[in-house]
Amino acid sequence: MPDAPPNDATQHTCLVVDDSRVVRKVARRILETNGFNVREAEDGQVALESCRQNMPDSVLLDWNMPVMNGIEFLKALRLEFGPDKPPVMFCTTENDISFIEQAIANGAQEFIMKPFDEELLLGKFAQVGLL
Amino acid sequence: MDDLLSDFLTETNESLAEADLALVKLEQEPQDAPTLSLIFRLVHTIKGTCGFLGLPRLERVAHAAENVLGRVRDGVLPVTPDLVTAILSSLDRIKLIVAGLASNGVEPDGSDADLILNLEAVSEGKTQQAPATSVATQPPAPPPTAPPHTAPPHTAPKPTSQEETPSVPAEAPPEPPPPPPAIEIPPAAEAQAPEQALAGQTIRVGVDVIENLMTLVSELVLTRNQLLQQARSQENSGFTGPLQRLSHITSDLQEGVMKTRMQPIGNAWNKLPRIVRDLARELGKKIELTMLGAETELDRQVLELIKDPLTHMVRNSGDHGLETTAERRAVGKPETGRITLNAFHEGGHIVIEIADDGRGLPIDRIKSKVLSKGLATEADLAAMSDEAIQRFIFRAGFSTAAAVTAVSGRGVGMDVVKTNIERIGGTIELKSRPGEGTVFTIKIPLTLAIVSALIVQAGAERFAIPQISVVELVRAREAGLAAANDDRETVTSVVERINGTPVLRLRDRLLPLVSLDDLLRLREPAHQHTSTAALAAGNTKADGTLTIIVAKVGASHVGLIVDRVFDTEEIVVKPVAPVLRHISMFSGNTILGDGSVIMILDPSGIARASGIAGASDGRHGGPATPTTLTGEAHTDKTAMLLFRVGASDIKAVPLGLVARLENIAQDRVETAAGLPVTQYRGRLMRLVPMSGHLDTTKPHQAVLVFTDSNTGIGGDRRMGLIVEEIVDVVEDTMNIELSGRREGVLGTAIIAGRATDVIDTSFWLTQAQPDWFDKPADVADGGSHRARLLVVEDSDFFRQMIVPVLQAAGYEVIGVSDAARALALRDNGQMFQAVISDIEMPGMDGLGFVRAIRAQGAWSNLPVIALSGRVSERDIDRGREAGFTDYVGKFSQEALLASLRQCLAQGVTQGGAHPPYPEAPSLRMVA
Repeated sequence: MPDAPPNDATQHTCLVVDDSRVVRKVARRILETNGFNVREAEDGQVALESCRQNMPDSVLLDWNMPVMNGIEFLKALRLEFGPDKPPVMFCTTENDISFIEQAIANGAQEFIMKPFDEELLLGKFAQVGLL
Repeated sequence: MDDLLSDFLTETNESLAEADLALVKLEQEPQDAPTLSLIFRLVHTIKGTCGFLGLPRLERVAHAAENVLGRVRDGVLPVTPDLVTAILSSLDRIKLIVAGLASNGVEPDGSDADLILNLEAVSEGKTQQAPATSVATQPPAPPPTAPPHTAPPHTAPKPTSQEETPSVPAEAPPEPPPPPPAIEIPPAAEAQAPEQALAGQTIRVGVDVIENLMTLVSELVLTRNQLLQQARSQENSGFTGPLQRLSHITSDLQEGVMKTRMQPIGNAWNKLPRIVRDLARELGKKIELTMLGAETELDRQVLELIKDPLTHMVRNSGDHGLETTAERRAVGKPETGRITLNAFHEGGHIVIEIADDGRGLPIDRIKSKVLSKGLATEADLAAMSDEAIQRFIFRAGFSTAAAVTAVSGRGVGMDVVKTNIERIGGTIELKSRPGEGTVFTIKIPLTLAIVSALIVQAGAERFAIPQISVVELVRAREAGLAAANDDRETVTSVVERINGTPVLRLRDRLLPLVSLDDLLRLREPAHQHTSTAALAAGNTKADGTLTIIVAKVGASHVGLIVDRVFDTEEIVVKPVAPVLRHISMFSGNTILGDGSVIMILDPSGIARASGIAGASDGRHGGPATPTTLTGEAHTDKTAMLLFRVGASDIKAVPLGLVARLENIAQDRVETAAGLPVTQYRGRLMRLVPMSGHLDTTKPHQAVLVFTDSNTGIGGDRRMGLIVEEIVDVVEDTMNIELSGRREGVLGTAIIAGRATDVIDTSFWLTQAQPDWFDKPADVADGGSHRARLLVVEDSDFFRQMIVPVLQAAGYEVIGVSDAARALALRDNGQMFQAVISDIEMPGMDGLGFVRAIRAQGAWSNLPVIALSGRVSERDIDRGREAGFTDYVGKFSQEALLASLRQCLAQGVTQGGAHPPYPEAPSLRMVA
């Protein structure tokens, strides 16, 4: 969604980046019930474009996506907008432990294992100071 | 969570389809990293999402598959066919679970332990068979998988295309595999990129919404047409301007809605690479599938309808069309056979070609199959072009594969394909060259909702004929009965009557004509059966011309006589109301601009309804051979020729017994020894008027020719039975009651709802030549004695029909009515040279009878020929298993005689009257 709505000053905007509609929907439900403003992107390229137009307060990032994967997106984001904002939550599964290191090395603040639930996700957001 | 689940199902199904294609591609290009990571991502995503929905079974399978793929990605495992098979079988399992999920909302029960074990083994690099329960096909002879690290992936054995062969032949020299040249990217994979770019601008809409829109737009188009028509009659009304705008907007809207229904044909091709891959593996062939024009769009409704026929045809091409690798090598062709699909737009149609570079259609095998099934006679085949013979593959029950494979040849074959394609207003044609391959060309309308149609009038009614079936419009002159022959040179198209049936002689072809008036009974005809004689009279205009629409029916043509032709219009096709649906002459109805509702004609239904099979394919200088009209021999129906004797007396004779129908000019009827004769094909032929006297005032005589010449035995005797008029050929189930002894009449049958006398041909033959049956024209077996045959047939009617035919052919014939009597003859020491037996008989049937013959006794080596109304492949197989030497359709006189000749000749060359059974020929059962 490149044309993101203007940020509500009181609301955190989270950009959910995942190639699966299902995962995006799950994340959106959890975040919206907890007062987040949610935007979606289905790959790194779209996500980067979305950030350029309107920087979100946080990013929930899948790593394995077509066109531009999570790590590539992260690198580009940090290169273009500086090393630490917005905070990026890196999603992964038990298969991709090696990617966690890569993600952290490239500027992710936190990682979360799929499948996540409300408690897990909100806990992680609290850790990076978004709640 | 319900909509999450449905999202998941949609997403997963899309991913699975994509993964299937990508895997097949990966197998051909093991080094293709982008394809590998695509597959990995798809499987990963499936696994990742099922966690959210609590789908443990799916997750475990996807996880195991992902592990294997991960190791391939990391370079630990090479891509081998076995590995691909293992992944494919896990995808199949996922599909199975997803399907269960879709229908029940929960994962179906079941264990995937075997599959997962196998995947784990593959992941550890062990050579592993696909598990027994795997949905994917078992590799018949799996090439031993080399140890993973010693075999570089690109040299691993692959069952499909070995080297990279781009779709453009000019680039054929094999390249080192990486980087892969851009070959035909499967459409779904290709669609990935644009989909991403446009993702923000696409929405998903239910099909029903679009269908509803389409209906509304159709109604709008009709209303617009009505308005336009009314406005035209009112000059200077203030509506002209707005109406024009409305008209344009409606057209644009119609086009726009049509567009939303359009889908690339690639969607119907998605599954093909996987199918071809499995097929190649199963058959041990190398097959390369090239798909061109996958982006060509057509209406989704049409797309759905051609999906299955296309799949079937591609299977056929791979299975029957392409040779085995060894055969290809032997004839100097590249080992890898090619199947090419090509789609493109042409006019308002989409053309799809399915081409293979295989062996071509084997004419000889088709011929022998046609003969054995009684679909045509040898004489018919001799008159046919190769193309016409090849077209027999579209006939029901035809399958040429000598061995029925699991893949195709399931009995439903090209006839079903053809029917399905014709049902949607399409056509299918084929071109085949021996050794070079076969090309099937399918032409179908882009949409079924709106078609271009010709509006015609017959009687007081208007009808629409879909433009796709209209070949040409012809204005013909009806030949005066007397002047016909002389005018033929100067007038291009003249309607003549051959045997009372009107035909149009159009550029060397005889076109059967149907008058819509009569067929649809728009004008109450005075007498139904003789209406063909009066045909055309009602349609003839003041200037003596007739308007004929030449319509395509399958590969042949039929002429429809109409009163008036209007314009071509785009019509909106509405389905026929259920109450009328059984009338096959109509394919739908539509509303014209003036608001009137008219029917849309279905030319093939009309041809069927009128009993016309369409003009035969070959070019006949003379009348079409009636035997080409013989119906499907595998049905229990019999084709009967109806003719009139005297003013109103309708009689019938089985069409199979009639050699030809002739129309003989009166001046060619001569008298010899006080009896009428004619010069027929260079020889005198005796004519017998059925009515008892010859009406010399008629300009032509309709003659049924009976002959034994086409038996090839050498007699070459003929006789012509003069009748008043040929009425019709009707196919019907025969229920014949034998008559009390009425001279010349065998019995009475209900034909087309009427009690009709069936003539006793043997009686009429002896009228022409009293000694017809006494003295054979030649000796049947070529020796000095007549071959003695036993006919076992429970139906008195059929027995009386067949015995004279065989006697006429020079055999000595004994007929009995059941197997027990026949076996009693054997046990009494009677001897025959061959036995002909019916299959369906009360008591011991034909199969039991032949087993009894083979089991013991003096007849155990005799040729035994089965005679049956049913000649399906299965029946033939059963017959052969039981011990029949040959299998011939009832009423296929020539086939029976040819078969006998063959069996007996074989016996003679073996030097005895007892041909040894195992060597007896059974050519007819091959194919």
